[in-house]
Amino acid sequence: MEKVSINGPLSGYRVLDLAGPLGLHCTKLLADMGADVIKVEPPCGDESRRIPPFKDDSPHPEKSLYFLHFNTNKRGITLDVTKPDGRAIFLELARKADVVIETARPRGMDGLGIGYEVLCAQHPGLVYASLTPFGQTGPWRDYKADNIAGLALGNLLYLAGEPGEPPLQPPGEIAYGMASTYGAFGIAVALYHRLESGRGQYIDVSMHECAAHIAGYFIPNYGYTGVKPARASRKGEETDLYDPYPTKNGYARIFIIPVEQWHRLVDWMGRPPSISGPEFEKMAYRRQHPEIVHKAISEFCMQHTKEELYDEGQKRRIAVTPINSAGEFIECPQTKAREIFVEMRHPVIGDYLQFGPVTRLSASPGAIFRTAPLLGEHNEEIYCGKLGFAKDDLVALRSVGVI
Amino acid sequence: MAKLPLEGIRVVELTTGAAGPTVARVLCEFGAEVIRCETRLRSDGHRGEDPKLWNKKPDFMKLQRGKKSFTVNMQTPKGRELVKELVKKSDVLVENFGLGILEKWGLDYPQLKELNPSCILIRVKGMGCTGPHAADLTYGPNVGNAMGTTYLWNYPGATTATAEPRTQHPDFMGGVTGAFGVVLALIQRKKTGRGQWIDSAQLEIGASLVGPKYLEYSVNHREPKPEGNRSLIAAPYGPYQCKGNDRWCVISVYTEDEWERFASLLEKSGLQRDERFATHFSRVRHTDALDKWVTSWTMQYDPYEVMETLQAIGVCAAVVQDVEDQFKRDRQYAATGFLVKMKEPEAGDVVTEGVPIRLSETPGKVRGLAPLMGEHTHEIAKTLLGLSDEEIKKLDEEKVLY
Repeated sequence: MEKVSINGPLSGYRVLDLAGPLGLHCTKLLADMGADVIKVEPPCGDESRRIPPFKDDSPHPEKSLYFLHFNTNKRGITLDVTKPDGRAIFLELARKADVVIETARPRGMDGLGIGYEVLCAQHPGLVYASLTPFGQTGPWRDYKADNIAGLALGNLLYLAGEPGEPPLQPPGEIAYGMASTYGAFGIAVALYHRLESGRGQYIDVSMHECAAHIAGYFIPNYGYTGVKPARASRKGEETDLYDPYPTKNGYARIFIIPVEQWHRLVDWMGRPPSISGPEFEKMAYRRQHPEIVHKAISEFCMQHTKEELYDEGQKRRIAVTPINSAGEFIECPQTKAREIFVEMRHPVIGDYLQFGPVTRLSASPGAIFRTAPLLGEHNEEIYCGKLGFAKDDLVALRSVGVI
Repeated sequence: MAKLPLEGIRVVELTTGAAGPTVARVLCEFGAEVIRCETRLRSDGHRGEDPKLWNKKPDFMKLQRGKKSFTVNMQTPKGRELVKELVKKSDVLVENFGLGILEKWGLDYPQLKELNPSCILIRVKGMGCTGPHAADLTYGPNVGNAMGTTYLWNYPGATTATAEPRTQHPDFMGGVTGAFGVVLALIQRKKTGRGQWIDSAQLEIGASLVGPKYLEYSVNHREPKPEGNRSLIAAPYGPYQCKGNDRWCVISVYTEDEWERFASLLEKSGLQRDERFATHFSRVRHTDALDKWVTSWTMQYDPYEVMETLQAIGVCAAVVQDVEDQFKRDRQYAATGFLVKMKEPEAGDVVTEGVPIRLSETPGKVRGLAPLMGEHTHEIAKTLLGLSDEEIKKLDEEKVLY
């Protein structure tokens, strides 16, 4: 059996991962920090293998770049837990695991005879996390929700996009991401508690509630003031706080909050008379006169490249950043200096840059050490090496579609 | 009452903004005692500049609820000495000031380790603590600019730079990820007895969720473009306009079974099926016509009617809620008690988001209001730092505990 020793705080913990897209980032966070995450796929392959983009746009189950990103560091086995033999094997695996994660509909796992009560009865130390759209209780618990549905209910979608146009989904699945992150935090807390008590527990994560935590301060604001924000145009109706300004080569954003930052900006611009009056020092006043402010700052920015504005603005302690493309982010000096991307090789996709661990602990940093598993890649290693099956057994189990 | 899992863990917070406070807030909900160090000389942006409003800010409530406020002037040697004493008696230090400030105060990791080798330090920065841009001044939205999501968050072919909303999701995602990192370090400390420090970059946390976009660049050698609400794996997909002013409901149909139920429903309401919509493949190829067909149905109904009707037949649908809907029409939040109401002495009734995860043995909770400025200064000075009433009086007069 493969032994990989990773210096991460979760080294030595084993995680059984039955999660769909909602929980992929959760088990990735755990795997990057050293946990041995075993991804349990149905014999036809996980649904995330069908999610684009694909290498060369070719929709092959081993070429999904989405699958590649979120499943690095995990080992992969195939198992049909709906079949009696599959269920028995899963129970055996769960006896030897520390954490089980699933994203089935509420009580879906109970229906298969592998729910929390069954697994906890055979192994009271087990930490079991259910990540679902609405949690295990409440009137909407059986409703379906994908990432965009989570963002819709969480108010984030309503605020994005131009007035008069449809609300606009963000790039990246941030409702899934927040649910996954909160799930990973809950699992870490439960493992910490287990070090003292020896007992595991059940964790119920609601994407719907996690999504409400992403949107900002609108819930407490509404509770105080009853004010209901609408979609705000990016065409200059908001000034200086959020506006992107055109430059010689794309856009830069200048983000001004305290008054000294405004002073620095106006000094840098050579104190143009149109915005140098003392009344412009007040953010409220600037917002009442967006056309003047936007025009002056835009004229200034158009004389520079976004990189020049970035370097000089930051030198002057003003929160300027270039609006980068994905490629510009990969190529920028900060990304390179911090080695955010790690060079990896996948047997089908070839050489690629894998996103590294985001939780950078100085003494136990974790690592990227394995590319995403091929379908059933670790069947033999785990079924024979760990559960004591013979190779003939695997042939028999394969013939009836259990693995 | 059940013991909270992080009870006994003391966190000192030297922060401003949102991401750092969120790390400590999440730890607080699971039992950590959080001591927020702040000063009247330069109030936090979320308290605001006006002392009369310091205790009345809703964003401050969200970020600081359940914590203690210890006012201390870090510009004085005595103030820094007191905070060092606090750190000696604590398990975690959370900071997110500009790079260099913690060093100046003598609390960066090499110095902290000398004071308290079992203490865990988390430094929450937009760009991280290393690299040529470590000292950048950044707010939440700047991070999205740098990592490419501002550019990508747009309609296909858009002429403006972005359509992203006024939210700072890297702040909140970064905060929860940071809390995860701290608990991992606590787990590691159980094994080794030693602390460590965490270099937490909002840039990387936010960017890790758009990983497939970067692979488009590094594997397929092309720049991903804004895709708007397009999907190749679901059709219908995205927000559909409903009855009312700016009312929308998102609908996602992934499988042929879901489509059959959806199409039958629309047919029963009098709409004619179109052969171009017979298969997923064909629907994706005729998205514009499909969207028009679906909208002709959704426009007749309130978005909640659309959601409930479709969910009743097992089709994913969700209202594009505004904040008022979250308070008044979201039956799920109402049933689970997610919106927590509290009474604030100065601001009155306040509402904040609850804990979105439920641990069966060790559940977290919203433990209280945000502290008033300096509410716990004397209590902490006396009980934790062991200062006498006279010493405290003197430090008050010298504006050290200020």
